[in-house]
Amino acid sequence: MPYREKTAWLSLLAMIVTFGPYFTTIAIRALPSEPMPNLHQLGLFAVTAIVQMLILGVGHLYLRRRSTQEARMPLDERDQAIMRRSFSSAYYVLIAGMIAVGCVMPFKSSGWSIINAALFMIIAAEVVHYGVVVFSYRRQA
Amino acid sequence: MIEGSISNRIRVLRFHSGEMSQAELGQRIGFTRQTIAAIEAGKYSPSLEAAFRIAHVFNVPLDEVFQWDVKVPH
Repeated sequence: MPYREKTAWLSLLAMIVTFGPYFTTIAIRALPSEPMPNLHQLGLFAVTAIVQMLILGVGHLYLRRRSTQEARMPLDERDQAIMRRSFSSAYYVLIAGMIAVGCVMPFKSSGWSIINAALFMIIAAEVVHYGVVVFSYRRQA
Repeated sequence: MIEGSISNRIRVLRFHSGEMSQAELGQRIGFTRQTIAAIEAGKYSPSLEAAFRIAHVFNVPLDEVFQWDVKVPH
């Protein structure tokens, strides 16, 4: 498995493991009724972000040590083509999400709902990006 | 539009070059071993420049490395 594919798997898994529970918690719990919803929200987001950074940091160190030579190599043309494809796919998800969040949601929701919806669309775009990377490498393996 | 598929003789040429490894060929043209494997298996078509580089490594003309098989319409 190429080093770039391994890092894409790592990023994908890190996002699912951290932001999966984050959005599940938000969907289940009625935060606005709590006495300090902002503090709770920020705390939850901080923990999620820190755990994700830890997983990515440790994972990248481990992968880099296991394939030092490949990790140092610049992207070749196939890697660049895969990156271009994945970024363009993710862009459509992100732009559609931002239109929904920025143009539609302000008429129906406010506060943390909008922030979390925007965050969800960013994560969804990232999942699409890494998903396309993994899929492309698997298809050409 | 004319339909066709690209095939290659990289495996044979590697064999005739002292069983050159995919990693070694990749290193010489700046590709990863996996990209060479994908080209060899016909799952990825390299750019014209990369194709010329591969031919240069084996010291053969381009059409000895890559062939384009035209599909004849019925």
